Amino acid sequence: MEFTILFLATALVMLIAWRGQRPLALGLFGAVLIACVATYLHHATDTLKLSF
Amino acid sequence: MTQARAITLNALSLYGVALVLAAAYAAQFILHELPCPLCLLQRILFAALAVGPILNIRFGPRPSHYAMSLLAAVAGTVASTRQVLLHIMPGDAGYGSALLGYHYYTWAPIGFIAAIVLLAAILLFDRQFEEDKAVLPATGGAFAQTAVWLVIALTAANVVTTLLECGFGACADNPVVYELLKRTA
Repeated sequence: MEFTILFLATALVMLIAWRGQRPLALGLFGAVLIACVATYLHHATDTLKLSF
Repeated sequence: MTQARAITLNALSLYGVALVLAAAYAAQFILHELPCPLCLLQRILFAALAVGPILNIRFGPRPSHYAMSLLAAVAGTVASTRQVLLHIMPGDAGYGSALLGYHYYTWAPIGFIAAIVLLAAILLFDRQFEEDKAVLPATGGAFAQTAVWLVIALTAANVVTTLLECGFGACADNPVVYELLKRTA
């Protein structure tokens, strides 16, 4: 589910970058990037059989 | 490099991102290989690379926009390198099929590192950041607009396919079926 949300957030950031305000796009981009890193770290500390 | 030329290069980079996302879809739909969680994260970070160029086309080139793409590329390099290392042991068949001898997750760090090098190279050209006397279209012209909407459409499509694949729970480590389609079938 978290990946769906991350894709959705990225698409929204793109739309805001294209149609909305620049500071909002920059701020949301930062939030998405932090969420991506958090997702990576969360999975990287899990013991998974494959992929992570 | 003039501002107009920089914007054209930014539009070209968006076509590059679109190509990567389309290639990932080709593996998913033609070869029926569902992306693993780490593969999805790499796709997201490829898509995130596009935000900087979109801002450059809309507001004109700025170092901060390139910096955003650089950060996404570094994060993508870390994620994809981890997946390469997970399958580096002798005898490990890897995840998914190979394209031109390399798995997709091996192409990914090559792509992210290429993005870092290209971003550093384009940052060398200071003139793009000066006020340009040439009157530019507000949104970069049809070539750039098509690139922007193509990347946005592919990212939006990934929202739908990822929801179908993972459903409303955690994504499977080794997905073989679309969770939501399985439940409704």
